[in-house]
Amino acid sequence: MRAWKAVLLINLALVVGAGWGYAFWGLRAARLERELARARAEASSGVEREWTVDGVVRAVFPELGVLVLTHGDIPGFMPAMTMGFRTASPKIQDAVSVGDAVRFTLRGVPPNVAVTTIEKIK
Amino acid sequence: MLTGTRGLALAALASGLVVLGVQTALFEGRPAAAFEAGAIARVLVETQAGRVWLVRFGFLAVLAAFLLLRLSVERRADWRAARGEAVLLGVAALAPLAAAGHAAAVEPGTARAIALDGLHVVGAGVWVGGLLPLALLLRAAATEEGADARPYAVLAARRFSRTALGAILLLAVTGVLLAITHVGSVAGFVGTSYGRLLSTKLGLLVLALALAALNRSVLLARLSGDGPTVGRPAMRRLSGFVLVEGALALAILAIVAALSVTPPARHEAAAWPFGVRLSFAALDGATAEATRAFIGSQVGVIGLVALIAGVVLRAWRLPLVAAALAALGAGAGLALPPLAIDAYPTTYLRPSVPYHATGIAAGASLYQEGCARCHGARGAGDGPDGRALPRPPADLRAPHTAQHTAGDLFWWLTNGIPAAGMPEFGSRLTEDQRWELINFLRALSAGYAARGMGPEVEPDRRRLVAPDFAFAVGPTPPRALKDYRGRIVLLVLYGLPGSRARMSQLAQREGTLATLGVEVIAVPIDADPDAIRHLGADPRVLFPIVTEGAEAIVAAYRLFAVAPHVELLVDRRGYIRSIGRSAGEAADLDALLAAVQQLNDEKAGPEAAPEEHVH
Repeated sequence: MRAWKAVLLINLALVVGAGWGYAFWGLRAARLERELARARAEASSGVEREWTVDGVVRAVFPELGVLVLTHGDIPGFMPAMTMGFRTASPKIQDAVSVGDAVRFTLRGVPPNVAVTTIEKIK
Repeated sequence: MLTGTRGLALAALASGLVVLGVQTALFEGRPAAAFEAGAIARVLVETQAGRVWLVRFGFLAVLAAFLLLRLSVERRADWRAARGEAVLLGVAALAPLAAAGHAAAVEPGTARAIALDGLHVVGAGVWVGGLLPLALLLRAAATEEGADARPYAVLAARRFSRTALGAILLLAVTGVLLAITHVGSVAGFVGTSYGRLLSTKLGLLVLALALAALNRSVLLARLSGDGPTVGRPAMRRLSGFVLVEGALALAILAIVAALSVTPPARHEAAAWPFGVRLSFAALDGATAEATRAFIGSQVGVIGLVALIAGVVLRAWRLPLVAAALAALGAGAGLALPPLAIDAYPTTYLRPSVPYHATGIAAGASLYQEGCARCHGARGAGDGPDGRALPRPPADLRAPHTAQHTAGDLFWWLTNGIPAAGMPEFGSRLTEDQRWELINFLRALSAGYAARGMGPEVEPDRRRLVAPDFAFAVGPTPPRALKDYRGRIVLLVLYGLPGSRARMSQLAQREGTLATLGVEVIAVPIDADPDAIRHLGADPRVLFPIVTEGAEAIVAAYRLFAVAPHVELLVDRRGYIRSIGRSAGEAADLDALLAAVQQLNDEKAGPEAAPEEHVH
């Protein structure tokens, strides 16, 4: 065989091999990753969820039924931050005052959640 | 020749299998794993070294198969295609090596380091790989029967000489850049095992290059012709010399193998082997010495020019080179002594404890226990017990720290300074405690230098590093100042009831501050765990109030400013840029907003973080 033909064949085989490998494995991995992300997003939306989180009461708005809490990480919903949450009943915001360290339960279909129970911790 | 190359390719494949076995055994931690298919598959799929091995072995196998093909190469195009393919496959099998070595661990600039290392490896392949075939060809051509091969041998030797020169230049450039990446400092070069291996490698390389230069300048010209010193005898001698060069290259590769399993000098504690070091910091404030150093450097430059002239002008070479060496010697003798600073084995040691508020606070109490008696409660060198000492205790606030590295301080703390009456603390404090003390001294001296810093931001003045700290608000997970890199932080040290008015003002304008990209972190000076309750509900304060970690923050940051109410503006890169001191009364917020605006207007520049450690 002429040498240049052999060289051409080998390089062609290498390119086809790499391309096939990418098409088979690379594209499949990318598709799996997309599916996983979609499944995760579906699992966390439209379903009622519940978290128990520690935090500190920063402000109480009785007229709005809102508690502002500095809280830890809420997995799958939001990172640690300071923000206001609706309370499920007026009893909840009446039970605590500014500066209290609390453990509270958050329940609802994100992003529509409310504080359902709260207790002071120390 | 082709048979030999086939043999070498098969040998490379076989040794590759051995390497894979050894790597698996090392990875799994037991020798038997080298023969288990499962363990080998894990290494191949899950480790970077395994994947690189797979790619390289694949190319090597294709190369070996290609070399075993019986191809006709009579026509020029075929010949070129066959040789080109062999080179291409060889490079493809060689270059990925870079992605499995130290270069792949360089952060940041991984891609650049891998590319440089790949070029370096290919350059080495061209140089070293050509030596053995060349030697064999020359030897064959030098025999009685080798008359036919002689013209080819002469041509090949000339071509290899040119190619190898290019390869060596490539090796030199990439090698220097890689050394800067992996070693980074003179201390790393002379004070670590990586640096010592590298200097051995350079020594062997200089030998090999000297031999190559001799071959190139003397023997290469004598290859053609026939006579007692030209032609065959020269060819035989060149063949021997090339083999010696190859042996030196193999020794260099052995050192490279050792280097590849030695941690790079940049990540090692360097032990400085000399009693002095050279630094321009020695010239601070010494005019006469600076003049002397300047004159010396100019004499040295004249020497350098003479040296270049000596190399270029053949007729004047001897006197010019002699004069150049004399001038260089004189220049060094003049310029170097003023630059010398005492140095110790630990001079370039980097602190093993980060510049962190907790460590600074611990260092501060160690200082009060062990050092304040002589160095004074505030570090001014005016302690009561210091007066009786043979040499007055150093003023630790003085801005001479550029002349003393953290490693110098570590040495003095560990071993004492007997002549000055400074005791040793090596037996009384642990290593971490000594570093905490040094971090405290850094903060003390930085704080003393910062006493002129006011509420205005000075453009481009980034000197005062904000020590990192950890804090928590109530039962929430702890955070660190470092998490706020990239945002502006207003660190407020407040005390009640004095600061109430100012805190209310900040709370009401938190929205404005947030819009400008400012995060407020408030620390009660009295470290009150119930600080949020005591601030009360009116007005509502919603920014983080530190309830855990406040003691250390206050202890460290009080070194920068002492006032009932302190506001420090920390820029996006982690430098303190302005310090507001007050009694805590409500004041015009426009000054603060203007300072923030100025930080926002600064060019982003490279996001270089301040050093974690004292240097």
